Amino acid sequence: MTDRIRVMVVDDHPMWRDAVERDLQAAGYDVVAVAATGTEAINRFRATRPQVVVLDLQIPEPSGVEVTATVLADEPSSRVLILSASGEQDDVLAAVKAGATGYIVKSASREELLAAVRRVARGDTVFTPGLAALVLGEFRRINEPETPPGEKLTDRETEILKMVAKGWEYKQIAERLVISHRTVQNHVQNTLRKLQMHNRVELTRYAIEQGLDEDEDG
Amino acid sequence: MFRALAVLRVVVLGYTVVVNVYRNNYDRPVLGWSCVAIMVVATFVLIAVYAAPERRGPALLVVDLALAVAMLLATPVAKGPWFHATIPSYWIVGALLAWAVRWGWRGGTTAAVLLGAVDLLTRSHVEQKDWGNVFLLLLGGSMVGFVCESLKAMAAERDEAQREAAAAAERARLARVVHDGVLQVLALVQRRGGELGGEAADLGRLAGEQEQVLRTLIRSQAAAPAPVGASTADLAVALGVLGARPGTEVALPAGVVPLPREVVSELVAVVRACLDNVDRHVGDGAPAWVLLEDLGDAVEVSVRDDGSGIPEGRLEAAAAQGRLGVAESIRGRVHDLGGTATLDSGSYGTEWTLRVPR
Repeated sequence: MTDRIRVMVVDDHPMWRDAVERDLQAAGYDVVAVAATGTEAINRFRATRPQVVVLDLQIPEPSGVEVTATVLADEPSSRVLILSASGEQDDVLAAVKAGATGYIVKSASREELLAAVRRVARGDTVFTPGLAALVLGEFRRINEPETPPGEKLTDRETEILKMVAKGWEYKQIAERLVISHRTVQNHVQNTLRKLQMHNRVELTRYAIEQGLDEDEDG
Repeated sequence: MFRALAVLRVVVLGYTVVVNVYRNNYDRPVLGWSCVAIMVVATFVLIAVYAAPERRGPALLVVDLALAVAMLLATPVAKGPWFHATIPSYWIVGALLAWAVRWGWRGGTTAAVLLGAVDLLTRSHVEQKDWGNVFLLLLGGSMVGFVCESLKAMAAERDEAQREAAAAAERARLARVVHDGVLQVLALVQRRGGELGGEAADLGRLAGEQEQVLRTLIRSQAAAPAPVGASTADLAVALGVLGARPGTEVALPAGVVPLPREVVSELVAVVRACLDNVDRHVGDGAPAWVLLEDLGDAVEVSVRDDGSGIPEGRLEAAAAQGRLGVAESIRGRVHDLGGTATLDSGSYGTEWTLRVPR
């Protein structure tokens, strides 16, 4: 099997690392690396180049958010799936802004986890209702008159994101709105893309401000 | 504070030495110049001793002040009773301010009274400028003392606040670590329990409920520093508790959603009624989703199930029989809060949307 999906599991709890690794292997995934800390994760990612990183956010430094940003900067075609126990909202939101395309809580069943890895590997986004509500709230927060249209949600995107937050599955949304499953998927992906775009714009703006300050000093 | 005083001591010492050299009007030059020499040595010894905070005890301050008094007392002996200026001149402010810094306005005033009295009593005739100097001593001693006291109190308050903030941050960090560990185990038990089935499944379900409770607790703690006073409560935390019902997923925005306390409890009660309805009509523990949105000028809560919907005509039949159905009760309660409750039901399930303005 040469086309097995290559996965790395990052979790500082051995029992979880083993359980997830076992499940993935049993389901036919190729677990090329496991890591317990942020540093290990980044180093082993560079050595093995997995397609999917299953990542716990609460790991020893550097944090899961930093690991997400670093590995995706190294290899933009890789995908990060957040598997989190405590679901600290700020961290989850930060990881998604840093480029993670999936989020699932540890209390999810094995089938849900495997389905999430499969979908993330395919390039789809995996939203829980909780994550959809966070993203929705974030767009409401940043929705100001001066926000460029490219960083705002369209009415359709808001509608679909809201349905995801209310627990509708993509297939049900497609049926209800009489659109294709792919279209629903695209809309959800667009919301993430816009959120990440907004994040990059904010970071750039911040960098420019810092840069200007330095010029004034110099 | 004592470091600044050290600088001042050197400055006034310099002034005193220069003035004494300039005047050089001693009856007994040996005694007079000895006094100047003592002051030079004493200044540097005192600066060195005062440098360490633990040495700034009463003994040192008494010695400091006694030296200043001794210099004043030596003046009539060295210069004769009709002297104009004392040998130590402004050098005595070193001792005065040390007392003011150490013991506040009381210390400053005590030292000023003592130095002033000695100065006046050693003179055989007191001129207007001498009264003026003594008045300045009193004013300076008490005011500097008062300011030092206030500064020290402020510094102490600031230190206390910083210590508390650091302790709170550390507590929060530790709590996160502990909570995360517990959540990991609960989640694992829930997951494996579900896979094993039977009694293990029950254990897993219990673990899942506890996980939900702990998660809500963490959220409410994280929200504590936000401006949630006695009259307001966080609707997000309050709704989060409802996730303890099996099959219920509560989706919340980040941060707090503050609302008047009674609005929060009434809204939670209404949502609970909606969930009870799901239990009754769709099945015990049937899947349900609660979504809270903060729209700025209003909040919107939706409660959804994926049952088969409310059969057509049932609500009307209930109304016709004069029964106040659950639906009417929900509408009425939200209406009392100044909001609206809309019901959407079909083959895809039933959804309540509760909208309450701020």
